[in-house]
Amino acid sequence: MKIATICDWKGTRNFFKQLLTGCLLLPVGAYASPTAPTIKLFPTTVLEEIKHTGNVAAEMETGLQGVISQLDEQQKLYLGSKCEGNEGDPGCERIARQLGKSYLEMLNIMADKLPEMETAVNATSSSLEKRIRKELGQKKTSWTLQELLIGAESGKSAAASQPSLRGRSGMRLSARFSQYYKLVSRSGGKNNSSLAVIASDIYLDMQETSSLIARTREEISRATLMEQLNQSFGTITPEMQEVVAGVKAILFGEELDVMPMAIPPAGPADHGYESALQM
Amino acid sequence: MNTAMKIKLTGLVTVAAITTSLAACSSNPTHATACSLPEGPNLERAISAARFDLETGCEHEFDAYFQRLLTIAEGDPKKENKASFSDFLLWSNDTGLLSKRQARELYNRYFGIKYVSLVSDYSVCAQTCPHQSDVMRDMNRELADKEQGLLKISADRLNYTRASNLYQETELVLEATCEACGPIE
Repeated sequence: MKIATICDWKGTRNFFKQLLTGCLLLPVGAYASPTAPTIKLFPTTVLEEIKHTGNVAAEMETGLQGVISQLDEQQKLYLGSKCEGNEGDPGCERIARQLGKSYLEMLNIMADKLPEMETAVNATSSSLEKRIRKELGQKKTSWTLQELLIGAESGKSAAASQPSLRGRSGMRLSARFSQYYKLVSRSGGKNNSSLAVIASDIYLDMQETSSLIARTREEISRATLMEQLNQSFGTITPEMQEVVAGVKAILFGEELDVMPMAIPPAGPADHGYESALQM
Repeated sequence: MNTAMKIKLTGLVTVAAITTSLAACSSNPTHATACSLPEGPNLERAISAARFDLETGCEHEFDAYFQRLLTIAEGDPKKENKASFSDFLLWSNDTGLLSKRQARELYNRYFGIKYVSLVSDYSVCAQTCPHQSDVMRDMNRELADKEQGLLKISADRLNYTRASNLYQETELVLEATCEACGPIE
């Protein structure tokens, strides 16, 4: 019974990690809205959907951050009280039950917000899918796609405006938001190469998030029941502590993944040799 | 009389055979001596030697010569090497060793930022997505060649980084685009 609960926590942690990073991508599209790109990856309808999904995500994120902070505090208390190995201690049992209650609270918030979130994510994902299919999949060859990515200037000064963050790895949420904001504002609405990358990034995040939401919704009822039953035991296992540490990492970015190389080394723009064979 | 004729005829045949052999030697140098790959650290000297050999019967060894020149150039990385290879490939085209397209693809494979592996005439959905993993594998191999050409030979870190970024971005955008294109029918 306890193990089942632990698994639920782990699943929840992974869900948060991917869902929240995905959520934070959403406002980027909203900032990209006034760009009116040549490639129409972000028409008004898509932007409205992104904006709406961003709002729903922000609500959920706010609600979850509170309860996750609470979980973090409770775990600190549990560890600080030397409860590991002293599960029979009444004080430790009390802390473990409080931890379990916070977990139930978290599940309830998720159960409450997930349906709306799922609808919004799926709608946005579907719209983005159509735009990407049309603008990148059908209008481009692989050669013109790479020309788009490298930039119309053949990259001489485009390097400076390249996004400084790529991929969907977890990191401090506020930092991720900040970096994406900088990316969009730096592009000045004219960098189609960045928009193509951002659209791809958001779309893949949405796909992943949608799948995670569906799986999580299926699990929530079972997880709630299991935790309710677990409350009668009032114990906390090392695995549960690990989950709390994981949740903390998700929110405060203590587990930074290796970032892909995205910014070229500082240096003057290359005006060097150009061959007659250059493509 | 008959004997004298026979001797004359034999003499003529012998002379003809010797002449033929000598002519053959001058136009078809033996494999071991004429097609030995250039040695030494000097790229320009190696290119001259390669040109001579490639013009005198070793054209079938073009790839080996080109690879040897790349290896030699790694010993002295500098931006000027790019021009040396460009000139060499243009010369190869002029002398008919390579077509213009082959020369261009070879140059760009090693010294360009864009990926010749991505050359295609049809849409991404129709042509690229059905072979997405093959395309990425080819790009990855080309990235290794660009590492040699741009980084190890030309000391052009900036453009190598751009090629590397382009690889990563293409991977991401292709993944999303092929997902959006839907299953292959």
